[in-house]
Amino acid sequence: MKTFAARRIRNLGMVGVAALLLVWFNGVMTTALRDTARASGWGLFAMICFLAAYNLRKKLPFLPLGASAKWLQLHIYIGLFSALVFGIHIGWRVPSGLVEAILATLYLFVFVSGVMGLFLSRSLAKRLTTRGDEVLFERLPVYRRRLQAEVETIVFTDLEESKSTAIAQFYADRLRPFFAYNRNFCQHLVQSNRARFGLLKEMQAYCRYLNNVEREMMTRLVTHVEAKDDLDYQYSLQATLKYWLFVHVPLTYALLVFALVHLLLVSAFSGGIS
Amino acid sequence: MATLESIQRPERWAVPFSTDMTDADVDRLLTIEPFASLDPSRFKDKVTLRGILKNDTRLVRCRPGDIVVRQGDWGNSAFLVIRGSVRVELGSAADLPSEILGRQPVHRKSLFQILAQLWTNSDDPEVRDVANYRGDPRIGARGTGEQTRIYLQDVSAVLSKFRTATIEAGQFFGESAALGRTPRTATVFAEHPTKLLEIRWQGLRDLMRRDDGLQKHIDAVFRERALKSFLMNTPIFQHLGADEINELVTHAGFETHGQYDWAGSFKRLAQKGIDTDLRHEPLIAEEGNHTDGVIIIRSGLARLSRRHEHGHQTIGYLTPGQIFGLDEVIDGWLGNTPKPLTNSLRAIGIANVVTIPTRLIEKLLLEKADRQHLARGAAPTIDSLTNRPLIDTTRINSDFVEFLVENRYVNGTATMLIDMDRCTRCDDCVRACASAHDNNPRFLRRGPIQNNIMVVHACMHCEDPVCMIECPTGAIHRQMEGGQVVINDQTCIGCSACANNCLYNAIRMVEVRHRDGGFIRDREKHAPIVKATKCDLCSDQLGGPACQRACPHDALVRMDMRDVKQLTDWYTR
Repeated sequence: MKTFAARRIRNLGMVGVAALLLVWFNGVMTTALRDTARASGWGLFAMICFLAAYNLRKKLPFLPLGASAKWLQLHIYIGLFSALVFGIHIGWRVPSGLVEAILATLYLFVFVSGVMGLFLSRSLAKRLTTRGDEVLFERLPVYRRRLQAEVETIVFTDLEESKSTAIAQFYADRLRPFFAYNRNFCQHLVQSNRARFGLLKEMQAYCRYLNNVEREMMTRLVTHVEAKDDLDYQYSLQATLKYWLFVHVPLTYALLVFALVHLLLVSAFSGGIS
Repeated sequence: MATLESIQRPERWAVPFSTDMTDADVDRLLTIEPFASLDPSRFKDKVTLRGILKNDTRLVRCRPGDIVVRQGDWGNSAFLVIRGSVRVELGSAADLPSEILGRQPVHRKSLFQILAQLWTNSDDPEVRDVANYRGDPRIGARGTGEQTRIYLQDVSAVLSKFRTATIEAGQFFGESAALGRTPRTATVFAEHPTKLLEIRWQGLRDLMRRDDGLQKHIDAVFRERALKSFLMNTPIFQHLGADEINELVTHAGFETHGQYDWAGSFKRLAQKGIDTDLRHEPLIAEEGNHTDGVIIIRSGLARLSRRHEHGHQTIGYLTPGQIFGLDEVIDGWLGNTPKPLTNSLRAIGIANVVTIPTRLIEKLLLEKADRQHLARGAAPTIDSLTNRPLIDTTRINSDFVEFLVENRYVNGTATMLIDMDRCTRCDDCVRACASAHDNNPRFLRRGPIQNNIMVVHACMHCEDPVCMIECPTGAIHRQMEGGQVVINDQTCIGCSACANNCLYNAIRMVEVRHRDGGFIRDREKHAPIVKATKCDLCSDQLGGPACQRACPHDALVRMDMRDVKQLTDWYTR
């Protein structure tokens, strides 16, 4: 497969064909008054087990179990296909029992979080290359502290040299909280520059109260504010790319547990009816 | 205001090969052949015979069993036997085992051993089993630092088991590899106490220029031992018979362009900022000139460029075995008028090239080919002959190509590239690397980025591995099977020569520990034992590099930069 687009078309095509076959087969079986719930249930359970096994594959990178990228492709398209099997299994109705409802809700959450994860992986990765330097996630706090220390050096130098508290006051009021923590997480996520422009506007407006030396210092502070905002941008996007799995994976395990409970209950109360 | 500081202009012998060479040593050398019969007046004032012997040579005293050069080593010097004799392994079905040469045998873990990494990987960094350092009873090491020499404990056993030949006093060895910048083709070891003169390649080159006899001798040796097999393995000549190959061998020219120490000068250049006008790259053939033959790259790399406005645009690069100027020769032959070269060819660092005269190409290849077939454009071009086409600049941005060539990344046979548009920064690659190396990652996800492609600071397993040149024990070597550049932890003495030579900061020196977490120390000085570490392409694991296999998003690849088609396809996915 030479391009990602070609691979996507091929894989979607295969899933589409499989989905049509499944719908046709299910129609035939339903017309013949055969019970399809058992087959679709077992099929769905097998798919969920396989999808969950991807996390296990990631934990064993040294085993010759095939490339992770191939697993992810299977994970994505089997995941998509499982939605159809799930719909057929529950008969396209809202589940009524407690266990069924919990199980269906868990499935939907896992499915939606998976689709979201895929969307985030494909869109945020691209956006990370558009702003700021490439920084390792674990090193972001180090860079943030370094920027803060540089800013404080500028501010305290001003305090000593000009005997004026104008910049120090502005720093204490507006910039200290900005440099102390990661800021504007959600705004960066939706690509909004509102907070950045707002702060820069404030700094520009404050310049009217400063003398020439202080204005020069403010210009240096502007550079640091922009650098810190870029770090926040990197943090926001990289954290989202890391932490969405903390939703998807635990929900998957919960889904597996409830699926097992569902399986036991169904087996226990089926009364031998095939 | 900046102040100016004056220093003496650096000269050729500012750093001699050895500081131990005395005038008395030089006097003694001048009494023996071939130096005794050399005419000192044929040497330039600045590069005298005495100067060469004093600054470009060193005396090496070997004890029985000392390994002088190993097959596969990357050497930069030739040897002259002054006293005694050495044995050269002739190569047969039973080559000297890699352990005897101080190398790591190729050992792939079993499935169980791989699985066992789950519970056997250490919690502390860089843990080693001290028992491994007790060594192979068949070999030993003597000397310190860069003078360390691996020796065979039982020479007679080796002599009885393996086929060898004697190189007597007065004979040279290692000159082909030194001049051609190619791996040593045989292992040489001392049988008795032996005195050798090691001559670095610059000195050897100058001696050859001033002495016809030496020139003829080395020329003949090179043509017989190296050039013949090289031409026989070159795709366009593979169908030729023995007589025709011999004719090629007789008339082929060979020359070296660029600096042997290109890595050092490149590092200095890179610190100043890369010069983009290509002044630092020696011209092999210039666009617009008429060619008197086709040029085949024997070793090293060369840049193909074309004039563009007031500069030069890189349109590709040639790696060993690739051919330059063939299209022009074919066009000239078809039109009965010589055609000028459409591109320029420059050495990237260093390039050894073989030139085949036009008349021989016409006689041996073109006259036997179908003229109409050639005229229809079905000529044996670089693309079809080597299956390594030029870079398609309509598919790859030229600034990316310039970036790869200027930074010498095209030297890599397994360069780690990450498509940052697809990388989610999950670091699964780093974790996979760590888990395959006893919890020690052999790279960090860092490196320069161009066109959203990161070239990671991980060992690229270079085509021209400058890291191997000065290793005193041969611990860093290229595996015969697979070609990976690997380090034998047992014979690495921690001298840092490889790490200092590596252009890409891909080799790290680490202090090693016991299983209990404490540092392993040197028995005499109590200093921590240091070892060189780097990516080994997971050569002991099943399934290939763990980093590439662990990337979920197809963002990371280990790219053989010689395969331009693969690079282009990957870049334009």
